[in-house]
Amino acid sequence: MKNNLWIILKKELRELFRDKKSLAMMLVIPIFIPCIILMMSFLFESQVNQDISEYNKVGFTYTLSDIEENLIERLDIEAYQGTEEEIKSLYDNGEIYVYVTKEENNYTIHSSSSEESMYAVTFMERFFDTYKNILQEKYLTNEGINASEVLNIINVTEEQEEEDFYFASYMQNYAFLFVVMAITVSATYPSTDTTAGEKERGTLETLLTFPIKSKDIILGKYLSVTLSSIITGVLSFILAIVTLMITKNMFSIYENSALVYSWQAIVLGLLIIIVYSFFISGLCIAIASKSKTFKEAQSALTPLTFISFFPGMIAFMISIPTNNLIAFIPFLNMTMIFTDITNGIYNILQIAILFLSSIIYIAIVLAIIIKQYDKEKVLF
Amino acid sequence: MIEVKNVKKKFIKWNEKKQKTEFYANKGISLEAHDGEIVGILGPNGAGKTTLLRMIAGILNPTEGEIFFDKKNYQENEIEIKMNLAYLSGNTKLYDTLTTYELLYMCCEIYKMKKETIDQKIKEISKKLNLDSFLYQKIGQLSTGQTQRVNIARCFIHDPKYYVFDEATTGLDIISSQIILDFMKEEKKKGKTVLYSTHYMEEAENICDRVIMIHEGEVLLSGTPEEIKKNTKTTNLRDAFFALIGGEIDEK
Repeated sequence: MKNNLWIILKKELRELFRDKKSLAMMLVIPIFIPCIILMMSFLFESQVNQDISEYNKVGFTYTLSDIEENLIERLDIEAYQGTEEEIKSLYDNGEIYVYVTKEENNYTIHSSSSEESMYAVTFMERFFDTYKNILQEKYLTNEGINASEVLNIINVTEEQEEEDFYFASYMQNYAFLFVVMAITVSATYPSTDTTAGEKERGTLETLLTFPIKSKDIILGKYLSVTLSSIITGVLSFILAIVTLMITKNMFSIYENSALVYSWQAIVLGLLIIIVYSFFISGLCIAIASKSKTFKEAQSALTPLTFISFFPGMIAFMISIPTNNLIAFIPFLNMTMIFTDITNGIYNILQIAILFLSSIIYIAIVLAIIIKQYDKEKVLF
Repeated sequence: MIEVKNVKKKFIKWNEKKQKTEFYANKGISLEAHDGEIVGILGPNGAGKTTLLRMIAGILNPTEGEIFFDKKNYQENEIEIKMNLAYLSGNTKLYDTLTTYELLYMCCEIYKMKKETIDQKIKEISKKLNLDSFLYQKIGQLSTGQTQRVNIARCFIHDPKYYVFDEATTGLDIISSQIILDFMKEEKKKGKTVLYSTHYMEEAENICDRVIMIHEGEVLLSGTPEEIKKNTKTTNLRDAFFALIGGEIDEK
């Protein structure tokens, strides 16, 4: 009955490609990936290259010394002087970002938790470090001590053995995590539509009266959802790679980073996308088939999107390296090894564990959905 | 010939206290429908007609009992029997995104018709049921009557031997209903077996060779409309039904 499977698959694909929502899920979701990469790169770039000298409006509630005045001129600080009430009023109106009060030799920088205020604090910390150095140098010189010898009693220099491309690696990890999430989101809509949706519309009953084994019906549905997920996955992957390669030349935060993908990485990445699409489509169908209505199925599938994203995200945040055990854990193994591969790390054993365990998970999910469709419960 | 032997169907439902309870929609129904015969299954809503016909059409499995088509057990010959069976209910829905032609073509493929004959077959049916004007239109854009005509076309495109109609005329206008009733009569003349459930007693009286009255999952009485009227000393099937149940309907 291979022919029946093909007939059902054709019917499902026809419905899928003619349904605007399914098409949007399949083709529009990948477009979000370049947008997210560009947006995040822009944000990182603007944060890193933030010119804190812009946050130079500072109030002083005491009379400035000559050294302080020189320093203010040198650091281009826009200084406001006055009584504490006057300065506080300027601060409350947002005309200055911080203000400084003085009690004998104790200085206090008054700030808020706003971004501008925090940058101004950093700026003023630099001001006071320099001021303190000048005062120390002056004091030591007055005491007849070689200030340079005391102040530079030890020298510390930093030499980086390996260049750390923090932003490039961060962006790359997240870009491929978004690819996995895009596949999950794209699998949920068609799997809901073809199972709970078909049940709700009443067409499943018609289908069950045809001389077709239930196994062929569900396999046809499964393959159509998988194909749609693969299309989303491949598009997302290509767009992620192209966008990363373009942003590499657009933003200074990626300067000197590798962000080059070998054919090996691309082929293995595509294989993982295919395996993940088979797995997630089966899982979505298994869950959606148990629901009575489209809405119920969508609610039941929502957690899957988070499950596909969060374990990988947490692993990146706490920098867990991929190991053989992780290579067995569904969802986490896909995101971790997928990222490793795109970073040029090929651990053959872990890749083999990922593919073998995924085949087992796919077989289990398939057995569950075939069993579900063998029972009349699938109708109600 | 269709034979249903002591078929029971149990369902599980939850009561207001969320406790699981069992109930039988069919409590041991037996019936026969011969070749060239229209057999009516009559009863009010909730009598168990749809469950019975869904089991005969192979959508549901009986909890107990057996169903035979020309002495062949349904469970053991499901695909072979379905190749010769057509099921149509008032609630049968079709795929909105497919065109009439695509749906009929898919049915022909499922029923293993030769590729070179499919176009000819669709043309014939289209002419017979007057589908030409919307053959290439998506089903979702058709009226209720047009959709039901497509449904009929789907049913007899493979020239089946057995027809199962479950309240197929419900909600249709008189012209669309008449198309279905005429179709049943024509198929009967060709020696086909037709099982037809309805709660329109007058309609059944006009078209059925024999009727089986069911109530609360059990057969009350079966026979020709004349025999039933005679046995219940009534003048029509509606009165006969009320006479059999003592004038009370408990719709669960």
